[in-house]
Amino acid sequence: MTAHKSGHKTGEVLLKVEDLTVEFDTPRGPVRAVDGVSWQVRAGETLAILGESGSGKSVSTQALTGILEMPPGRILKGTAEYRGADLIQMTTKERRRIVGDRITMVFQDSLSALNPVQSVGTQIAECYRVHRGMSKRDALKKAAEMLDQVRIPAAAKRVNDYPHEFSGGMRQRVMLAMALALDPDVLIADEPTTALDVTVQAQILELIAELQAERQMGVVLITHDLGVVSDVADNVVVMYAGHVVERAATAEALEYPVHPYTEGLLGSMPSADLKGQELPTIPGTPPSLLAIPSGCAFRPRCPIAIDDCAAEVPPLLTVGPGRDAACIRRTSIAAKEAV
Amino acid sequence: MIRFVLRRVLAAIPIGLVVTLGVYALVFAMPGDPLRELAGDKPIPAAVLAAKRAQFHLDDPFIVQYLLSMKDILTGHFGTTFAGADIADQLRLRIPVTLKLTLLANAFQWTLGLFFGIYAGFKRNGWVDRSLLLTTLVLLAVPGLVAYFAAQYLFGVELKWFPVSGVLEGFPRSYLLPALVIGVLGFAGLARLLRTSIVETVNADFVKTARAKGLGEQRVLWRHILPNALLPVITFIGLDLAGMFGGAIITESIFNLPGLGQFMFQAIKLKEGGVVVLLSTLAFISFIVINLLVDVLYGVVDPRVRNV
Repeated sequence: MTAHKSGHKTGEVLLKVEDLTVEFDTPRGPVRAVDGVSWQVRAGETLAILGESGSGKSVSTQALTGILEMPPGRILKGTAEYRGADLIQMTTKERRRIVGDRITMVFQDSLSALNPVQSVGTQIAECYRVHRGMSKRDALKKAAEMLDQVRIPAAAKRVNDYPHEFSGGMRQRVMLAMALALDPDVLIADEPTTALDVTVQAQILELIAELQAERQMGVVLITHDLGVVSDVADNVVVMYAGHVVERAATAEALEYPVHPYTEGLLGSMPSADLKGQELPTIPGTPPSLLAIPSGCAFRPRCPIAIDDCAAEVPPLLTVGPGRDAACIRRTSIAAKEAV
Repeated sequence: MIRFVLRRVLAAIPIGLVVTLGVYALVFAMPGDPLRELAGDKPIPAAVLAAKRAQFHLDDPFIVQYLLSMKDILTGHFGTTFAGADIADQLRLRIPVTLKLTLLANAFQWTLGLFFGIYAGFKRNGWVDRSLLLTTLVLLAVPGLVAYFAAQYLFGVELKWFPVSGVLEGFPRSYLLPALVIGVLGFAGLARLLRTSIVETVNADFVKTARAKGLGEQRVLWRHILPNALLPVITFIGLDLAGMFGGAIITESIFNLPGLGQFMFQAIKLKEGGVVVLLSTLAFISFIVINLLVDVLYGVVDPRVRNV
């Protein structure tokens, strides 16, 4: 994954999300958490969805996999096609044959994301039992093999241990083993390394990259960490207040951000060049979803905002080859130069 | 595991001493003379009184009486009551009565509690859930005494569905009404606890993981949500069973069931310290055993508290 950061992958498109819009019913009226989000992931590609908390990055993946509580959640429109079949239109039963088998997920906090009263072996074996109809014995044997594949020492013994008996990093490996047990086409990793310290974080990302290379799997990596994005992602989708504001190959986005939000994020990344200086930040705070500003949601915090920005939500426009951004001030890469 | 059980049993010994001593002291401190109470209005010859007093060591200091009682209990020589009944015989007759009542009451309570708790938890905000909330609120507010007398009058005296009192009609007919009342009064707390516990567990992250694994809803409920939601309920079992004997004193007296509770009630009235301490010891031992079982069960269900 780290080897090729070109972003121009040619593998088959596995998961294609288009115009996905999700609302939540709250006592103070409906809240649009995800608004017209589109992205796709190809075999062998790592797509990062970058955004701060509340930007809708997790909600979009939970909605398309059907694990979002509905109600209060509601998918207003949009499609999420896995190899051409729309997950959103499917019946729950049909979707269960894909989610959990061909598309699997890893969550942030492995301690609460694993069932505390079942041994890790049982939890991994459950995938084989439910989706492959294996016997308990065979499934447990496969579970031990999986633990070995994610480099858990003495896997054959540890298969009977319970989640609380593992360290944070080891537990996240268990989560990975469970997600990869059935050799999925797409892995959705929702902040998989956020709860881990930096060294363990690197190990887990490396492990994901290795396993991905072996399987030609598509990875959707949800994160708020630009460092993680630059390390592993081929392409990046930047989200702000439920909207996609920029979409590009990682290398290009990092080198040459078009949307002012992406630019601000990059500017506020600590680096050695900034030693001794105060770290720049984006002024203001992300908007409450109950009161999203009219027009461009980023407008109140944007250094280049003009009155027209309040008029309407800026559409995601192609600003260069393979690059999209939603900013009326920068409708092309050339336009950015001009401003 | 054996070490754990041993440790708990050893820890129970000093607690048992304190409990029995305290109970004996309370009975000793009660006003009135037991033998005169027993005789009622009839005068007792001084010689008989003296002989009886000597037989039951009533003139000895408190601590001597206590130690003699404990010696009897520990050596299994229970002796007779003040009225002359053989205590060992009494226990043989009365223990099954209390056991039948308690087990039947618990069967009702657990069936109702688990069923409604699970149903309301899984289908929260449905009509069963809402009516359960209301019903349990009412049940929890009704004092036991009122419910026992009301049920006895309504279903026993007026409707004649059940015997009013006594055990003449045998098991289970004579036990049904008191057990039902205990069970219905007791299920409310259990059902609500379980319902709340399920509702909390439903939002846990590992449930999301289970759904993301593509598991069917039934499997998620029974394999992932319920085992976790039952943990607080197991703690509740221990506390609840412990309170059963206390409840039996009232129920058995009202429904005239010749069990241990009724025995206890009579013994307290007559200031029979030996019998009260014997029954307290029995209750205490069963309490220790039940709690030990509950702790072991908890360890089986929740690996996180194993080997503590």
